[in-house]
Amino acid sequence: MNCKLIITFLVSAAFMTKGFCQPTPGSEQTEAVLIIGGIAHLGTGDVLENSAIGFRNGKIDYVGNARSVDRARYDEVIEAKGQHIYPGFIAPNSTLGLQEIGAVRATRDDAEVGTFKPHVRSIIAFNTDSEVTPTVRTNGVLMGQITPRGGTISGSSSFVHFDGWNWEDAALRTVDGIHLNWPSTHHRHRQDGSVDIRKRKTYDQQYQEIQHFFEEAKAYEAHKFQPATSPRDLRMESMRGLFDGSLRLFVHAEDVRQITEAVHFKRKMGVAHLVIVGGYDAPLVADLLRDNEVAVMVKRVHTLPRFAEDDVDMPYRLPKLLEDEGVLYCLQNAGDMEHMGTRNLPFYAGTAHAYGLTYEQAVKSITLSAARILGVDDFCGSLENGKDATLFISEGDALDMRTNYLTQAFIQGRTIDLDNRQRQLYRKYQTKYGAPILD
Amino acid sequence: MNVLNYLRFSTGALLAMIALIVVGNSAQGQETFPVNGTVNKQLVRTALEHATVHVSATEIIEDATVVIYRGRIEAVGASMTTVPMEPAVHHDMSGLHLYPSFVDVHSSYAMPKAQREEWTRGPQDLSDKKGAFGWNEAIRPETNAAMYFDPVEAEKARVALQKAGFGAVLTHVQDGIVRGTGALVALSEDPRKALLIPEASAHFSFRKGTSSQDYPRSLMGATALLKQTHFDADWYADASRLNERLESNLSLEAFNAQRDLPAFFEAGGWEDALRATDVAEEVNRTEPFILVAGNNVYQRLEEVKATGAALVLSVNHPKPFDVSDPHLSRLIGLDELKHWEMAPSNAARVHQLGISFAITTDGLQQPKELRKAVQVAIRNGLPADVALAALTEVPAKMVHAEDRVGSLRAGLEANILVTDGPVFDSDAQWMEHWIQGEQNVYVDRNALDIRGDYDVTLEDQVLALTVEGERDAPRGHFTLDSTKFKVKLDQDGRTLTLGFQLDTLGIDGWWRATGNAWSDSRIWEGKGQRADGTWFDWSAIRQETEMAMAEASPSAEQQDTIVGKVIFPFTAYGNEVRPNARTVWFENATIWTCEESGILEGADLVLHAGEILAVGVGLDPNAVFGSNPPEYETIDARGKHITPGIIDEHTHIAATRGINEGTQASSAEVSIETAVNSEDVNIYRQLAGGVTTAQILHGSANPIGGQSAIIKFRWGASPQGLIFEGAPSFIKFALGENVKQSNWGNNYRSRFPQTRMGVEQVYFDHFYRAREYEQAWKDHEKMLRNSSRRSRRSNLLSAAPRRDLELETLAQILRSERFVTCHSYRQDEINMLMHVADSMGFTINTFTHILEGYKVADKMAEHGAGGSSFSDWWAYKYEVKDAIPYNGAVLHGQGIVTAFNSDDAEMARRLNQEAAKAVKYGGVSEEEALKFVTLNPAKLLGIDHMVGSIEVGKHADVVLWDEHPLSVYARPEQTYVDGVKYFDLQADLEKREWMRSERARLTQAMKTGGSSAGPPRPPTEKLKTHYHCETLTDENR
Repeated sequence: MNCKLIITFLVSAAFMTKGFCQPTPGSEQTEAVLIIGGIAHLGTGDVLENSAIGFRNGKIDYVGNARSVDRARYDEVIEAKGQHIYPGFIAPNSTLGLQEIGAVRATRDDAEVGTFKPHVRSIIAFNTDSEVTPTVRTNGVLMGQITPRGGTISGSSSFVHFDGWNWEDAALRTVDGIHLNWPSTHHRHRQDGSVDIRKRKTYDQQYQEIQHFFEEAKAYEAHKFQPATSPRDLRMESMRGLFDGSLRLFVHAEDVRQITEAVHFKRKMGVAHLVIVGGYDAPLVADLLRDNEVAVMVKRVHTLPRFAEDDVDMPYRLPKLLEDEGVLYCLQNAGDMEHMGTRNLPFYAGTAHAYGLTYEQAVKSITLSAARILGVDDFCGSLENGKDATLFISEGDALDMRTNYLTQAFIQGRTIDLDNRQRQLYRKYQTKYGAPILD
Repeated sequence: MNVLNYLRFSTGALLAMIALIVVGNSAQGQETFPVNGTVNKQLVRTALEHATVHVSATEIIEDATVVIYRGRIEAVGASMTTVPMEPAVHHDMSGLHLYPSFVDVHSSYAMPKAQREEWTRGPQDLSDKKGAFGWNEAIRPETNAAMYFDPVEAEKARVALQKAGFGAVLTHVQDGIVRGTGALVALSEDPRKALLIPEASAHFSFRKGTSSQDYPRSLMGATALLKQTHFDADWYADASRLNERLESNLSLEAFNAQRDLPAFFEAGGWEDALRATDVAEEVNRTEPFILVAGNNVYQRLEEVKATGAALVLSVNHPKPFDVSDPHLSRLIGLDELKHWEMAPSNAARVHQLGISFAITTDGLQQPKELRKAVQVAIRNGLPADVALAALTEVPAKMVHAEDRVGSLRAGLEANILVTDGPVFDSDAQWMEHWIQGEQNVYVDRNALDIRGDYDVTLEDQVLALTVEGERDAPRGHFTLDSTKFKVKLDQDGRTLTLGFQLDTLGIDGWWRATGNAWSDSRIWEGKGQRADGTWFDWSAIRQETEMAMAEASPSAEQQDTIVGKVIFPFTAYGNEVRPNARTVWFENATIWTCEESGILEGADLVLHAGEILAVGVGLDPNAVFGSNPPEYETIDARGKHITPGIIDEHTHIAATRGINEGTQASSAEVSIETAVNSEDVNIYRQLAGGVTTAQILHGSANPIGGQSAIIKFRWGASPQGLIFEGAPSFIKFALGENVKQSNWGNNYRSRFPQTRMGVEQVYFDHFYRAREYEQAWKDHEKMLRNSSRRSRRSNLLSAAPRRDLELETLAQILRSERFVTCHSYRQDEINMLMHVADSMGFTINTFTHILEGYKVADKMAEHGAGGSSFSDWWAYKYEVKDAIPYNGAVLHGQGIVTAFNSDDAEMARRLNQEAAKAVKYGGVSEEEALKFVTLNPAKLLGIDHMVGSIEVGKHADVVLWDEHPLSVYARPEQTYVDGVKYFDLQADLEKREWMRSERARLTQAMKTGGSSAGPPRPPTEKLKTHYHCETLTDENR
């Protein structure tokens, strides 16, 4: 802690004069870096004690034992003895950068008007200058799937890293999938001053509307319009990738009937990749999901059980239940306070570990599994040769808030500034009080 | 109704009459009216003779006579001796039973339908009722049911009630919190005759009904309003008497005029029933409210019994659910499933405990369901005579009308239900219903019963005819070689019509026959027409075989066993047996004392009699217990951690029907203590997270919110049983965006304040008023002290000031008898409120949220305020733009008592992890960080001498963890409150298993009919709101 203290005093002195500003994006990696001696959680489910992780030109080129690495090949060697190294955590299904302050409408771009709007792209509204994103990086979350909300089809999500000057250079996939909010099978029924929840009567009608939209999209895709001469329907154009496998269909669904019907819908419509987002009831239909290669982005781990009788720890155990059933899953954190709460994603994995997952499985649930589900595991999600050097070093176990403390982080090999506006405010007022800065 | 056909006149001379009371002129209801035509002098009596007369539920006279004269009962007694004065019409009621008609004390019969005004944009602060009435539309004591009483228009409702057995009801306009007077009326058509007692009762509820006014929006607001109305009326009466009153208020005049009437409170269930009783005590009502308590009293029998109140119970037994889809069935809560099973035995259980009750039709969709519902209650353990009393004499006594209705005694209204068997037997027919001496016939007791077997002679053939079915709707068929041939059979009095087609017997085409029944239907004879239009003669002779009995319907007999066990609380994870405090010895634990002794390694902890008996390393049983050790359990806690129970300074769980009154800038008069919900499963879930105590706060919709409830998580205790005894009193204040309605939309731009500037003035204004209020009382008391005994005795002194619950609460703050927890974000307003408090001479006890506290930590320290914050919430609205997770550490560093709270039912389950964030963000030591959720909130709540640390003599509120308690991996294994183990990881698994099997059992029972059959209803889930500071829905309709 003492060492930390000194460092931060120096850093604070440097920043004090600057006033408030978002951290400057890192510059291109020019020198090869080797992190040596740390405990490397590879994201694959494996762990390397006394590891060596090397990267140059933004890509990982060495993952192995500290004793067998050739240090001389690297320009900079970071001693990380006793520290932990992780691939950058991935926050799927996130509204980071799409909203700044929940209650201020002018700062919200997360939900476009309309019912079917697959053509609406999140990427161009991803605000790289959000004050929230740096606070998320500070805890190890370095990439995210930026996802629109609202309507039946909310729009298209994108996959980004959190170190861009603007959305163009933050983008890792400008469009990675389309988000469909499956109609709820229940609704609130008001009668005589009391409210109860019962089966929804309009469900079938809504299902028909979705089916109709997909049938049209499929017909449109099959017809191959000549772009120059034919009239174009932007909504239909944007749906194409679902059928040729280039885009994923993310269906937001919680209860068993929604999930089951979504899986059958996938088959019926010939959708290549289906991901269930939420999936509180997913363990009840695990066979179906596994057999149809449907993955699940599990409902936020820190939520209340759906029904009073449900196991008190049900949401905490959902990842373990899916792990045991062999369903591919990852964590996400949609819900109340979602964008600023993204920084707690590592701790959701921590809870999942406390309630059943092994430690490395828990790490995997916010790294490689997330990358696989998003279809980006070819270049990120784990500490493996050839992948982007998007990773960080934590003084202690990064899944436990008690020990999560990043000393360095890299996105595509670029060293990123872990400072943020909140740290600046902390230093400012500790300085006012003449109090020590313990950060 | 022409009854003459089947009456025989007695021309006998006048005989001696016994037990006869001459009814005076008052019997003639329309004495004062001019007459058009000839006067009906009502000289003829009616005598119902040779009946089994049920004078009351327990008093029965066989072979008895009831004499009716001018609508009332003139005499009742054995037929031998009770002979009417002539002229009289005599009815032979042999074999029949006469019962007193039922009385329903909770009815809106013949009242106008309450209709809600159209919704208008924006808030409505005051009543828009025209005239010199009170300020709140939900307080309607001026509503006089008798004035609205219109039986002519209510014929349908009247007939339905009559058929259901009712002869009189207590009716009122079921709208509002104070609803005015109810009228006892007979179920007859002439309003002048029917109106028995015009102002028989006063009626109350916690529901504001059709009022379009905003206040009260919550249950606690309704409670406060009801109390305040009592105090306003006290003051009004006093000031009127002394001629000091400067205003007239017809609502309060009416309220005072009905103080001595029996008061009925529509509670709808045990929850509001207990709350209503608390109100009655606080406002010094002479009698407790009579509680109209729905069908769930069995869930909290002991508590309801302790109120000493009489009850009015509903018999709307829940219908079974459609449980055919196991997935969909998850919507149905265990409480709903159990309620389905147990509600039918509600009355039986209430009776077993010796609580007096009446039965109402309220809750039934139609009155006609009552009879069957009572039969179900009887099958579920309710003695039939108790059921009868609950429908007759008990309700009559409730309205002090036992001399008018509810039994068959001389002088009472002639409201008589005639049956051919015990009234609740399933095969008994309800034959007639006499109301105020007017006969209504349902089954003609003199009508011909043609059911039986006949030999029909037709031309030269003899055919076997069977007539069966209902007495008033018989069906018939011929039988030939065991083949049935349908006969179309119609009966109209004595005339019978038959139509048939019997081609196999040479009877071609459609033959029709008509004729008459003679000699009690032993012989039929008549003419018929063949298919070709020619005529024939026919006759029939009844065979003397016994008629087949109708299919036996389920017996209405009382059963001894009452199915289903109550769980406490009545929801998931409730206990059948309430757990007790135990003596526990934890060995070799890491104990986080949160005291100067710090963290003890390998230490022991002893809980005994609800308190911490000993803590330390290497404790010796002899030293701990002395010579006489109690039985105790030893728990090996090696490798485990023990901490004090977690205390949540700011939560909104365990509250019901609104945590925000919020309709006025100040609602200091309202209290969460009046809206505690003991049945919230979140209590259990949070016990599973190590929480043992919490402050349930009012929301943040207005600058001066409402009073808090500080509760202990005694899972299974009643709402009052959850309250932390001896904890100081608190009130919620709020600043910033919520109180100025920034995010409420454009319809909310009128309530003062709309800016932070206005908020300051709200405080000044209210505190000055409170100070003046207190001075007024001091002056008054001084005057009393200095006045002569003579002037006191002869009431010459001026009236006492009006008791004002709002100002009284604020005055408590000025006297430092009540403490402020203030929702706050921005530094400017935090600073402002401290200045207001300084200038008024009190201290802001706690700033809650206090997300910019780090900017004014020095000022807070100087003022002496504490802070209870979120660990890392921000960016959800503009005023939390500068919130930082280091806030807790900065505050703590400046010597401020700092806590982390939840304000969220989920996060409250992991407050230990939130505490750990104080280590992460700002480097607070682990020992100090744990205090953020234990000792520090205890200090902020003024209960640190009882809880918050592990110290001998403090409450045994502790948590056993499997891991370092600040780690994300830590799980509570056991949680104790007052030495009672309310959560145990192992027991939790057993509970899950128990719930699964209980649900399975109930599902099977539902399939087979169980205690209450009927067409199933779709699976539904009762909505349970999770409250935050900002929850604003109107929950008090």
